Amino acid sequence: MSAPAIRLKDVGVRLGEVDVLQNLSLDLQARTVAVIGENGSGKSTFARLLGGLINRTSGELSIMGIDPARRAAELRRRIAIVFSNPDAQIIMPTVAEDVAFSLRADRLPPAELTQRVGAAMERFGLTELAQRPSHDLSGGQKQLLALCGAMVRNPELVIADEPTAYLDARNARRVAEHLLEDAGHRLVLVTHDLALAARCEQVVLFAGGALVGLGEPEEIISQYEAVLAC
Amino acid sequence: MLTLYRPGTGWLHRMPAGPKLLLILSVVLVVSLLPAHWSTAAIAALVAIVGYTVSGLGPGLRGIRELGHQMFSLRWIMVITLVSQLIFMGPEPAVANTARVTAAIVLAALLSLTTRVTALLDAIERGLRPLERLGLDAARCALLLTVTISTIPVLGRRAAEVRDAQRARGARNNPQTFVIPFLIVALKHADELGDALTARGVR
Repeated sequence: MSAPAIRLKDVGVRLGEVDVLQNLSLDLQARTVAVIGENGSGKSTFARLLGGLINRTSGELSIMGIDPARRAAELRRRIAIVFSNPDAQIIMPTVAEDVAFSLRADRLPPAELTQRVGAAMERFGLTELAQRPSHDLSGGQKQLLALCGAMVRNPELVIADEPTAYLDARNARRVAEHLLEDAGHRLVLVTHDLALAARCEQVVLFAGGALVGLGEPEEIISQYEAVLAC
Repeated sequence: MLTLYRPGTGWLHRMPAGPKLLLILSVVLVVSLLPAHWSTAAIAALVAIVGYTVSGLGPGLRGIRELGHQMFSLRWIMVITLVSQLIFMGPEPAVANTARVTAAIVLAALLSLTTRVTALLDAIERGLRPLERLGLDAARCALLLTVTISTIPVLGRRAAEVRDAQRARGARNNPQTFVIPFLIVALKHADELGDALTARGVR
């Protein structure tokens, strides 16, 4: 059996005086993993930790064989992160330019850049909006653009932190379909949407900064719902 | 991002971003250095009109209509500049300086009206590259400029949200109660933007 894509051993994260994650040990091998839990349980910190946006205070962490604290730049080339607020993820003035911005560091030949941007926009249904001002899009279109900007780099791992939080049902469904489709990437999805979590292969449950459940969606969601019912 | 770019095929649109930046900068500089005389107001106005007419922004009077649109969006800057200088400096310098400032801004706008931000970003990066020998990170400077401009409309929208939230709670428009929540929102946006840039592979 191959090594787990994500491996944490006794990982702790301390922000200021608060231990936001404590003694976290887990191996994640499933292609799609949902992370659930109440507000303040440590889900987003976990996502930021995996994305190399914050560093652990203790323990060992390996993401696709990379230690984010030591090889952050390499990790970022291989992963993509999608946040809940699309406004903060859009950098460039038009849709096409914003998608192309994600490939800027690769210094691709113009023809290849145009081809990859075009293909990505087509995949996310943004071709008609290519020349539209990015910030004038609807919330759903903005989140699709943010997702397109993340996926155009063909990441091996996508970390999505409540990507459907601000969206209506139709747009939430479209974003979810793109995230969950098997396009050669793994997914770690932080969500409060239990129906969406149920569609993942594995679910992680956090409470009070600690891991309290890891397993099949049905089992872990039932465990969470029992807690919510108390 | 402030989306001023208007798609087009005129000669100014087709001109490479670097030379265009230098050309427009030179015209703006000349207008800015004119003396504070009545004739300056006429020259500044004429340069702006000619600039918009010959820039190939579109068929017919499209250029002049665009100039009118730009002037309308500058109306308060023009009023404040004119009135304050009328009070302290008299009519001739007030009119000349207001005309110079207005002409400089609308001429500079020709750059953003006819150049995609990506092309401008590339041109600035290329222009700054010789300074890399002195330790300057050209790519980062160009990106800084882009992100700064892109943040303006987002913060404008956040400011409106803060004002709406205050009105919803019965508060009047009050700068004192506006500043702190707006600062918090702006700092939060800065944090999120930093994360997003990092997530998109920017060092």
